[in-house]
Amino acid sequence: MPVGKRRSSLIRSPQFSSFIILVVLLAVFAVADANFLSPLNISNMMAFLPELGIIALGMTLLLTAGEFDLSVGAVFGLAPVVVMLLVQNGGVDIGVALMAGLVLCIAIGAINGLIVTKIGISSFLVTLSMLLVVRGAALYITQGFPLKSWDQPGFFVTLLAGSFNIGSFRFYTSLWWFIGLSLFAIYILRYAKLGNWISAIGSNRNAAVARGVPADAVKIWLFIATSVLAGLAGMISAFRISAASPVAGTGYELEVIAMVVVGGTALTGGRGTILGTIVGALMLRAIRNGIVLVGVPGLAYNIFVGLIILAMLILHALLQKNAARS
Amino acid sequence: MEVLRLQNLQKSFGSVRALKNASLTLREGEVVALLGDNGAGKSTLIKAISGVFPVDRGDIFVRGEKVSIRSTRDAMDLGIETIHQDTSLAPDLSIARNLFLGREPVSFGWLGVFAPLDLAKLRKAASELLKRVGISKKLDADALVSTLSGGERQSIAISRAMQFAAKVIILDEPTNNLGVEETHGVLRFVKEVRDAGHSVLLITHNIHHVFQVADRIVVMRRGEIVAEQTVADTDLLTVESIITGADMSALLKEARAK
Repeated sequence: MPVGKRRSSLIRSPQFSSFIILVVLLAVFAVADANFLSPLNISNMMAFLPELGIIALGMTLLLTAGEFDLSVGAVFGLAPVVVMLLVQNGGVDIGVALMAGLVLCIAIGAINGLIVTKIGISSFLVTLSMLLVVRGAALYITQGFPLKSWDQPGFFVTLLAGSFNIGSFRFYTSLWWFIGLSLFAIYILRYAKLGNWISAIGSNRNAAVARGVPADAVKIWLFIATSVLAGLAGMISAFRISAASPVAGTGYELEVIAMVVVGGTALTGGRGTILGTIVGALMLRAIRNGIVLVGVPGLAYNIFVGLIILAMLILHALLQKNAARS
Repeated sequence: MEVLRLQNLQKSFGSVRALKNASLTLREGEVVALLGDNGAGKSTLIKAISGVFPVDRGDIFVRGEKVSIRSTRDAMDLGIETIHQDTSLAPDLSIARNLFLGREPVSFGWLGVFAPLDLAKLRKAASELLKRVGISKKLDADALVSTLSGGERQSIAISRAMQFAAKVIILDEPTNNLGVEETHGVLRFVKEVRDAGHSVLLITHNIHHVFQVADRIVVMRRGEIVAEQTVADTDLLTVESIITGADMSALLKEARAK
């Protein structure tokens, strides 16, 4: 492929247009409010970013395979609640409790995946039901109340939510998790055999199956991975604020899907981009943070967030049409 | 030499007998056209051969050896490749990635599904393949399949089957929705495939195409094979009348007489 052609396809790629818009947004916020780029504010954004970003990585792979998961926000809430209950009320060792949380997430993902693939119900309906079951379980076992705050430093807390300073910036170890998992996801989707399968399944499932690709198994494992990542993000969040709440993560599923599609991954499957998702995660984080700083009234946040997402999607659609025409 | 032999295949779906005692032989380097109206059992027959579902009764022989085909993978391993027009390629993947889908060349194979694709090898093999099948001039191995025309997609799918040295290539309606020129391109390609020593089972509605490329014609009606003729020994009207079960030549004579 000649260099010129490669460059133009890069510019037309959805993650590139998202990236440009991210830069513009950051510039606008930076000009509108000097505090936007202050160490404190950047530290704040970087603290929140991994929690949704980690889920978005799993969601990107799942969407690329043609499925999605609405239960991630509920899993984000349930996993730490179960772990903390075991530790606080059951006197279980934190390591064992985390193991139990992991098994729980695997089970939720496996049930999602098995129902979607083996019974053939759309993932929208299955995971919507799972959202209710999981959120309901979190509310019931806590009787609707947040758990007592739990603040015992230890290996696992440091591993998931330890913090460190670089100059006047304060970073959490969760950022390393996000970076590491992002690199792994990029590798999987672009360079590994599995990524080829994931894209092929989302692009044309029958073709993939006809070539001997185990489409159902791949999807089930992606549901499990997404659930586990949601639980991991929930634990990171709970450790960071030293508390678990049964309503934590409410609405995260839509925010995460927004991050993924704003980044350029197709909702219909086949085309996924992890780089785009990282850009999308940064963008939604920056928007939520920036519009507070520029003084948009609190209750009007979502109007802006929704409008910016819509604008992004329209842009992607137009670019797509343009590319198809040429 | 006999490549594929189907003996008394039977398959029912509930009370519907989709296949009743279908027998068929495919020899090396020949194109056999499988004809029949909708519901005649053509697709049931090819699905049974390509491993989509097992037959209820009957035997399948590949090169004289009795085999059991339980999955699409089994069929592929036996050298039977099936190409459906809309289900053979993933449009969002490049030509190279499609060519090797399910059989990707990897390094560090012990990593299983996490093994990295050998992209250099993939691209090289893809370009060589495109060159060998004579479509290298126009197509880039990195181009997405979604940017290709229907005829190009057919050619890619067929060449993929050739590449894996398939003994039997089953083409399911390969010329549907193709323009005139593209159709001719695909039919020419089918002849090349045969000349390269592969056997082709061609399923189509279009009898004209059959007369252009096929060596033999097999007609199915209501789950049974009702006729088997070499192309040289028959003509369009005869075949058409067998397919519909009506005696077209008699009708035609009648019409002419009026």
